[in-house]
Amino acid sequence: MSVVEASSPGANPVDAVASLAVDDLHVAFGGNRVLLGVDLQFAPGFNGLIGPNGAGKTTVFNVVSGYVRRSQGAVRLHGKDLLRMSRTRRVKAGIGRTFQAPRLILDATVMENTLLGRHHLFRWGHFAELLLLPQQRREETEARQICMDMLDRFGLADFAHEEAGNLSLGSQKLVEVARALVADPTVVLLDEPAAGLGADDVTVLLRGLREIQAERDLCVIIIEHDLQLVTSLCPKISVLHFGEIISEGSPEHVTSDPAVIEAYLGHGFEAEEGGEIHEVESPLSEHHHIDHVEEEGTLEEVWTEDDGPEKGGSS
Amino acid sequence: MEASNTTPRSLYPPAPPGITINLSREQLTTFGIFLFLGLLPWIPILGWTDIFDSSNNFGRGNLAFVFAYGAAAVGFNLLVGYSGTLGLAVAGLFALGAYGTAVLSAPSDAREALSGYDWPFFLALPVVCIAAAIIGVLVGFPAARLKGFFLAIATLALGELIVTIIRLDDDVWSGLKTNGGTGKQVPQFLIPGLDRILSVYMLSLGALVLMMVAYMVLTNRRLGRTLKAVRDIDIATGPLGISSTYYKLVAFGLSAFAAALAGAMWAQNSSFANPQTFRTRLLVFLLVVLIVGGLGRKWGPLIGAVFFVFLRQKLQDTQKLLFLILGIALILSVLVLPNGIAVLPKQIRDSRWVKDLQRRLESLLDFSP
Repeated sequence: MSVVEASSPGANPVDAVASLAVDDLHVAFGGNRVLLGVDLQFAPGFNGLIGPNGAGKTTVFNVVSGYVRRSQGAVRLHGKDLLRMSRTRRVKAGIGRTFQAPRLILDATVMENTLLGRHHLFRWGHFAELLLLPQQRREETEARQICMDMLDRFGLADFAHEEAGNLSLGSQKLVEVARALVADPTVVLLDEPAAGLGADDVTVLLRGLREIQAERDLCVIIIEHDLQLVTSLCPKISVLHFGEIISEGSPEHVTSDPAVIEAYLGHGFEAEEGGEIHEVESPLSEHHHIDHVEEEGTLEEVWTEDDGPEKGGSS
Repeated sequence: MEASNTTPRSLYPPAPPGITINLSREQLTTFGIFLFLGLLPWIPILGWTDIFDSSNNFGRGNLAFVFAYGAAAVGFNLLVGYSGTLGLAVAGLFALGAYGTAVLSAPSDAREALSGYDWPFFLALPVVCIAAAIIGVLVGFPAARLKGFFLAIATLALGELIVTIIRLDDDVWSGLKTNGGTGKQVPQFLIPGLDRILSVYMLSLGALVLMMVAYMVLTNRRLGRTLKAVRDIDIATGPLGISSTYYKLVAFGLSAFAAALAGAMWAQNSSFANPQTFRTRLLVFLLVVLIVGGLGRKWGPLIGAVFFVFLRQKLQDTQKLLFLILGIALILSVLVLPNGIAVLPKQIRDSRWVKDLQRRLESLLDFSP
């Protein structure tokens, strides 16, 4: 998009190494045009995809994993056209994803839920299962071992045989991330993995993700509202706003981009070198990072907290 | 939840606390099942059938009905309880099993009510069951695209269609030989050396063992959890590489197979089949068996079948009362035990009252200073 080129020259990483490439993606639900020509390249490593609510972030994921039909554009995984494949084929090709709300079988154990992730890697069918073939049994045990190791990384090994419904929401989200990772994907789409997680869980999540990313050279794409988390984790961030990429590049570049600040906060704010956001007329105290806006609700609630008489300073 | 730091961590669920044998929960369950199924053949031989009827013959026949309904409910549980697909063609497929084996295995030169195609029983039985499974899958193809209520209606119509074809007999195809609405006499298959009722008992038990073992093996492993995924997180199965349509069809096929097998056993037991028997009433019976027993629970179908046949036997003389009581049982079950009788032990174990009692007993027996 021309906007990006103008605002961030040379910020894009080299396209040749892109694991997942989205070209000129258009999506419309009836008359509601959600994506207006999105170009994205995701290389191995951590990639952030941020933007205000309703920007179309999850729609990008839905197109990639096959839930939404695009009206125009292409998605390629390692150069292969992804959009021709069925949802299950995409998984075999190496796409893994999680959902905003955890989707687990609540009356099955955590282990069973995690094992679902390896479903497509089983070579022996259900008939072998029925005949109690030892090969099938061995395969199952191997799969369980892999799942147990993965659960261990996310601090869930002790709950492997608990019913998933007994776990807290945060742990359930971790189980879902583990399930996406045991499928041996090359590209993982994580839809708000840290939303609703406590501080400990976030630490565990990030440590696990970093380890696995480093081991497998994974391409991890994260939608997240917690800007602090995204900026600390992702060397490359894309900002989506009303179906268009308005900024792309390093965290410093993105957080200081006037277009991004405007999209998040409206008119009247600007950023300093360090990426901190200040109101133009009345500079605010330090703890007013833009992530507070997303976390604590509507814009006005947050910005009127300390302002006192200068409330509504953006006017 | 306290962390247990056992190394190495067991990959399979460990046995419940209190059991000191070093076995996983799955191995224990499997062991229990085989023990249980292995004990069943001794019941008629030892004559312990009094609970179903004071007359030994009726009691054994009733137990055989338990096995037949149990086998059908096992398949039905895979479809409704595990895959969450409300396919209601089971009564029709039950009829297919009953009539299919009856017609195929009957002598060709008998009078109309008993004429057939001279097939040996043990050839007719698998052929009919596999045919039913194929029909189930074919029906599943369009039906798997429907959801809930609409799926129920569509499959219900198919079940009725099969029964209607049986009732129309010659009008559909002269080779059908179902003897129309008057009913068909079922040729008996006798196991050498056993009398009729014992032979039926063993046959039905064989069918139940077959279904139960397959069911236990499959639900304990990958198929069980995959079907549950189709039921609970249908929308999320795509990104897991699971085709929910495929697994719905597998469930349709398995449940159709079980229904036909159970139908054949039912026909052997009652020795007379009438299209009227296989109307929606049978479907309601099976639903009661399943819901009262425990939907999606391993032991649910069997417990439900025992409950149902026991009740039916006790209310034998007052059929109207049977329906009333079944209805009340269904409502009570949904109100008090929404997960069926199968979870009753667990509920009791987890109840505050029992936990409290346990604690008191422990403190009583605690002699440490």
